[in-house]
Amino acid sequence: MKKWVNWTIVWDIAQKILIGLGKWCRFVWATLQWTFRPPFRPKNFFKQMEFIGVQSIPIILLTGLFTGMVFALQTGKTFSLFKMQNLVGATVGLALTREIAPVFAALMVTARACSAMAAEIGTMKVTEQIDALHTMAIDPIQYLVTPRVLGCIVMVPLLTMLFNFIGVIGAYIVGTTLLNIPSGPFLHHLYWYVDPQDVNGGLIKAAFFGFFIAAISCYKGFATEGGAEGVGRATTGAVVASSVTVLVVDYFLTTWILEYFTDIYG
Amino acid sequence: MAENRYIDILDLHKSFNGQKVLQGVNLQIPKGKITVIIGPSGCGKTVLLRHVIGLMKPDRGRVTIDGVNLHALTRLELNKFRRHFGMLFQQAALFDSMNVYENVAFPLKEHTKLSENQIQKIVADKLILVGLEGIQRKMPSELSGGMKKRVGLARALALEPDIILYDEPTTGLDPIMTEAIDNLITDMQRKLKVTSVVISHDIPSAFRISDQIAMVYEGKIVEVGAPESFRKSSHPAVQEFLKKGEARF
Repeated sequence: MKKWVNWTIVWDIAQKILIGLGKWCRFVWATLQWTFRPPFRPKNFFKQMEFIGVQSIPIILLTGLFTGMVFALQTGKTFSLFKMQNLVGATVGLALTREIAPVFAALMVTARACSAMAAEIGTMKVTEQIDALHTMAIDPIQYLVTPRVLGCIVMVPLLTMLFNFIGVIGAYIVGTTLLNIPSGPFLHHLYWYVDPQDVNGGLIKAAFFGFFIAAISCYKGFATEGGAEGVGRATTGAVVASSVTVLVVDYFLTTWILEYFTDIYG
Repeated sequence: MAENRYIDILDLHKSFNGQKVLQGVNLQIPKGKITVIIGPSGCGKTVLLRHVIGLMKPDRGRVTIDGVNLHALTRLELNKFRRHFGMLFQQAALFDSMNVYENVAFPLKEHTKLSENQIQKIVADKLILVGLEGIQRKMPSELSGGMKKRVGLARALALEPDIILYDEPTTGLDPIMTEAIDNLITDMQRKLKVTSVVISHDIPSAFRISDQIAMVYEGKIVEVGAPESFRKSSHPAVQEFLKKGEARF
């Protein structure tokens, strides 16, 4: 009889995943420990905030604007079937604040900053610069990882706010010009349906996303082996793993937020 | 602690994926002297050096430095202990996002409370010591291989360590640069009385600079001694390595 599942391969894959997960957890634990140990390096932290946050502003503005515009266009066309175009602002506002802005902002930071993190740390690993840090009595996790993880935790929520803001502007432009929705009802419904709690829920998610994407990308950089090819593999792996994690973690965070913060969405 | 057992490597074993690299290395390195470790490629010289600075943990055995068992230290203790060390890497391992000044100043800024003026003076002094005056603003990508190694040495010397480890300092350099690096190593030892451990393939260079030579072969130290006695070794692997090594140069 033909064997449909090769359990040896399945076991090997499961083992690899579990080993990788275990190593990542140890890496995260070390990062948490070093976060609270002196010496603190605020300069490195601000440098990372500038790289992760400030330099991501153009791409967040661009993607946020067009996401808001296309979302307004699609919902507007559908809502017009029921003569409910006035709710476009509220729908786009809710979708942006709860889901789209945190997820898209995290994906944009992954594509721009986290790939660079993995490549930079990976190159440092293969050119012995990380060993050099060790020999100079400087812990590389504290020096390289902690500021990046903290930078992402702070900056992804801020970029999410910016995404929310510019997305709503995009939706407003399309709504009022292309869909002929009067400005008053558009803004009134937006104001009426979108609560600060919706925004807060999105920001909490964004902070978690920031933590995960930075911790995964830095880990991938540290796990780099081989030369330039290894750095390429680490960078690709960092982007894929971070993006998938954002989407998977999003589901669980949403469930958690809905379950335990019923007053937020209640 | 006896001066001739400053760094004591005892029965060191290390394997990677079942492949035995070190198979019971025993070596005593005296204080304030230059010990050169030679051996064919892939015999485990660099792995041995990495154990000496605690970058790798042995499967068995230990490394003690001035009586302190390096591998029994916690991560934080090891970090503190490493301030006694300087290391020159094979490819220099300069931080490519920093210029020469920032590279050499890096350990000083991290571990001392010196003012910027004092750091500038120390960096300038160390660069003069390695014969590279006035290149503070250059980036590593603008330097030749030999210059990178000398900047790496200046950085290793910045905190005035007790022990300097050199991982193939002359590999890939022309004869003139090789001699310049050799002179630097002997100068450092003469001026600063540091304990130097040099990993090398270069036989003439090893005999020129060493107070003690050891050879790693098949994961063990097969011969160790002063250069004159080392040359007279009856071990066939040593004789073959010396013959072929000297013929190459």
